[in-house]
Amino acid sequence: MHINIQSITPDFFTPASSEVWSKNFELLPNSKYLVKAVSGSGKSSFFNFLYGLNNRFSGTIQFDNSAIASLSENDWTSLRRNKIAIVFQGLRLFPELTAMENIQLKNTLTNHKTETEILAMLAQLDIDQLANKKADTLSYGQQQRVAIVRALCQPFELLLLDEPFSHIDKAQITNAVNLVNQQVEANQATLIVASLGDTYNINYTKTLLL
Amino acid sequence: MIDTLLKKQVDKSQLIFFALSSSLGLAILLIVIQLFIDTRSVFNSENDLLGNQNLIIYKDLGRDNAFTDQEIKELQQQPFINKTGDFTHGTYRVLASVTLPNYTGISTEMFLEAVGDQFIDIKSIDWSWQPGDREVPIIIPKNYINLYNFGYAASTGMPQINEKIIRQIPIELKLTGSSQTKMYSAYILDASEKINSILVPESFLNHTNKTLSPNKASKISRIILDVINPSDPKLLEFLASKNYNYLSNDVQNSKLSYVLKLILSVVLAIGLLITFLSIYLVVTNINLLILKNKQTITQLHFLGYSKVQIAKVYHKIAFKILGVSIIIALLISIGCKFWIAPYLEILHVDSTLITIAYLIIISIIIFIGLAVYYRKHTNSKIQQMLRPNTSLLTTEN
Repeated sequence: MHINIQSITPDFFTPASSEVWSKNFELLPNSKYLVKAVSGSGKSSFFNFLYGLNNRFSGTIQFDNSAIASLSENDWTSLRRNKIAIVFQGLRLFPELTAMENIQLKNTLTNHKTETEILAMLAQLDIDQLANKKADTLSYGQQQRVAIVRALCQPFELLLLDEPFSHIDKAQITNAVNLVNQQVEANQATLIVASLGDTYNINYTKTLLL
Repeated sequence: MIDTLLKKQVDKSQLIFFALSSSLGLAILLIVIQLFIDTRSVFNSENDLLGNQNLIIYKDLGRDNAFTDQEIKELQQQPFINKTGDFTHGTYRVLASVTLPNYTGISTEMFLEAVGDQFIDIKSIDWSWQPGDREVPIIIPKNYINLYNFGYAASTGMPQINEKIIRQIPIELKLTGSSQTKMYSAYILDASEKINSILVPESFLNHTNKTLSPNKASKISRIILDVINPSDPKLLEFLASKNYNYLSNDVQNSKLSYVLKLILSVVLAIGLLITFLSIYLVVTNINLLILKNKQTITQLHFLGYSKVQIAKVYHKIAFKILGVSIIIALLISIGCKFWIAPYLEILHVDSTLITIAYLIIISIIIFIGLAVYYRKHTNSKIQQMLRPNTSLLTTEN
């Protein structure tokens, strides 16, 4: 997905000068971007703008040359099913559902992956044995990995990861990064990772300081 | 899976309570509607006990008791009188003779009157006459048949008759006017409960008056009024001020009809109120359910679930409550129908099974109407919740 950003600033707080706010730039397919910032500088707001959860900003964001301000409710639903995947900073898993149910909740929308493929991805992140455990019984790090697998269970052209590895140990981060890289390349997608400082050894096209 | 997520806050006992309360309201509604349908004949028909919306007025006897054109005009101008009909009478002497096989013939002097067809409670295609017709149809008061059957026939050994047999009896009418005498064949078409007179078609009376007594003017001695409510005090006061007489029976019956209608209307209003309140309860409960699940709903939506998919879960709940309520209400009202039927028989009401068909159709209409309302309501609530910037997810920054 070709994303064109023209001079956006949030309406609800005044951000400090950065490489994102009030700047014009493009995010290209097959590219990886790191949005690096300290906590509270608006990383999640930037992701929320891109995911259509918040439209309180001035400036323009264009997906493939059309302004997202003109997208309808249904357009967003379709984008969230087929084009934009996200791992929220707060994960947003359903605690009363098992890990597998949480993933299937997303997967059944498009039937993108088979259960075997899902289990393989869980195995890659070393949590396949937790597939049938309720989400609220898992550690935060384990939940983060479930949320990553869930985000990958849909076709996407843009993958947004909001501090996705904050509670995962180094060995598992490597596994997760490998999985993410594989899927991003398979989908020829744009990857945007928000992080407080870590680069997670990903080969970014560009780093944007926020 | 989405179902289990969205229904986790559903309190079943509460829903059952709402279903029962709305079924109570709907049952009252259906019972009253059914009563209205069943007793429609009582209220509407022109010959029956409660439906008498006509009043026959006449002046005191013993003086010139014909109504003048001006008086008729004045009657027509009153707001509580819809229409007036004149009773015109024959301006000739009438001798009617009946010959029954094996019995000696009987003959009697009588009179003939005519009134506008719209005031007559007998509707028949045979109720017409034109010069050249072989027979004249006659309508007699029902009382006459009773008098004959239980008085005359019983004491003289003549056969008893009913409205059907009576048509077969050939009657010879000998009409003697001021200028000539004529014979006509006649038969009794039916008996009227409403009009206490011997009626022939207006066309016959006009024709015979003109040919038999061309020099006599026919006078209007009685007038039939079509009124909104025969017991209307304004009407009764007006009639009293003019010294017009009427049969108090007609007024009594209309009071009964009025009270019955009033009671049914009050019950209908109570039914409507209960239904309205229970619908309000169900709607409030669905609102509450949606609010309780706000986080789940917004999260599902941001995973890619459409509003329609989410709303459907709540539609199903609402439709189930509504369906159960209407089925219970329908069963109660059908049960009531059979329970009330013997009482309605006293009013000579034939409570037919067609009413049940009506009830089912009305229930389906109510179901569709309320379902559409619930659907719209749920959709708008969910729509409100899922507007951008209102979500719980925008709190992260």
